[in-house]
Amino acid sequence: MIFYLVLPFWAVALVVAQTVLADVLFSGWLVIEASLVVVICAGFRLNVVRGLILALVMGFVFDCLTGSVMGLFMLVYMVVFLLTFFVSERLVTEKLYIIAFFSLILSLMETLFLLLFYQWIYGINLAGSLLSVFLPQALMVSIMAVGFFYAMHRIEEMIYGKSMHSSQRAGTF
Amino acid sequence: MFFKNFRIVIFVSALFFAALIVLSSQIRQEAGAGFAKKLVLEAAAPLHNALTASIRTIGDAWNRYVYLVNLQEENRRLRRTIDELNSDLVRFREDHLEADRLRQNLALERHYDFKFVAAYVIGREQAALSKTIMINKGSAHGLKTGMPVVASPGLIGRLTDVSWHAAKVLLIIDESSNVDVLVQRTRVQSILRGAGPRSCLLKYVSKIHDVKEGDLVITSGMSNVFPKGILIGVVSGVDRQDVGLFANVRVSPFADFSKLEEVMIIVDETADGGKTKAKGK
Repeated sequence: MIFYLVLPFWAVALVVAQTVLADVLFSGWLVIEASLVVVICAGFRLNVVRGLILALVMGFVFDCLTGSVMGLFMLVYMVVFLLTFFVSERLVTEKLYIIAFFSLILSLMETLFLLLFYQWIYGINLAGSLLSVFLPQALMVSIMAVGFFYAMHRIEEMIYGKSMHSSQRAGTF
Repeated sequence: MFFKNFRIVIFVSALFFAALIVLSSQIRQEAGAGFAKKLVLEAAAPLHNALTASIRTIGDAWNRYVYLVNLQEENRRLRRTIDELNSDLVRFREDHLEADRLRQNLALERHYDFKFVAAYVIGREQAALSKTIMINKGSAHGLKTGMPVVASPGLIGRLTDVSWHAAKVLLIIDESSNVDVLVQRTRVQSILRGAGPRSCLLKYVSKIHDVKEGDLVITSGMSNVFPKGILIGVVSGVDRQDVGLFANVRVSPFADFSKLEEVMIIVDETADGGKTKAKGK
């Protein structure tokens, strides 16, 4: 229960932090999508209900604070979570290069989805920003995911004495 | 098990459906900020402010640190520059003083129609027994024993020992130095003998001779050692009270022997016999 109570505040804090950091580091040129990394990590660590709610809340807060179309990132993050959740049984999260590659693929898929969405719905062609904005962003997500997963492993080893695997997730509800 | 999975499918579908409804409603109409969105913005604002202020504070501190580091570096650089400039200043001041002295010596050369060799004083011995200086020129530069040595404004001594690249000058204040001189005003001839660090005595000046304080003393040219007419000093005191035939006449040389740095050696007198050329002096 505490998870659901803390989640919105935590999501707000994370999205605000990534927005401010991106503003300071890149002057708004790039977005540091730490929220996407968290959703990917949730796909490996949480059950469907918790993970989907996390993705939904994270997407909602992201939509609210970044000024994107309301519901867009909610949908994207939920799709990302479900994809991660379904492949998590077959991926070894201890191998960081796999995490990096998987995160890169997911980030590029997200980019593709956003490009198609804006093209179809609003007729805006964002392909020009692919190399200068979206690709660096995807690479950054990939690098952050590696760091995040490594930190998670270390923390779990410190707390539990061993790192938790996807198969050790608790029940669904 | 079936119901459990079914409930999950329903839950997932419901969430997707909700997201799609929100998305489609936003696409269809530019709706204003809903209540939930307002809540999120309201919650995010103080956090945003705090985080921005913190980062700005850190940024300011970092900028101040960088500024101070730069300031320290600049300070160090400026100190180095000051040291260099001070060093240059000392050098230039020294050069200036040397130029002044050389200019005075050059004036001597212009004033007297002699051939001079300039030399630096490289050592001095002004002990009780002898008062001499060492110069950095010798026979290789045309110097010979007995040549007169001058420094502005007049005579200071003569060469006594000459090696290839150095020579010793016996100063006129040395007790063993004797120079044939004239009192310029009255043409009274005498012998100038050294008498200590800052003075000389005129020997064999009769008490009846007209010599008084302030009279200039010049070389007489009689001994063929010193050319005639070179300034030596000024009569600083005349004492006729002593028993004897001669007056006790003290002469203060013009040169300051403790500060000699450059001297000129007269290596050759010109055809006119070393007569002075008054060039507007």
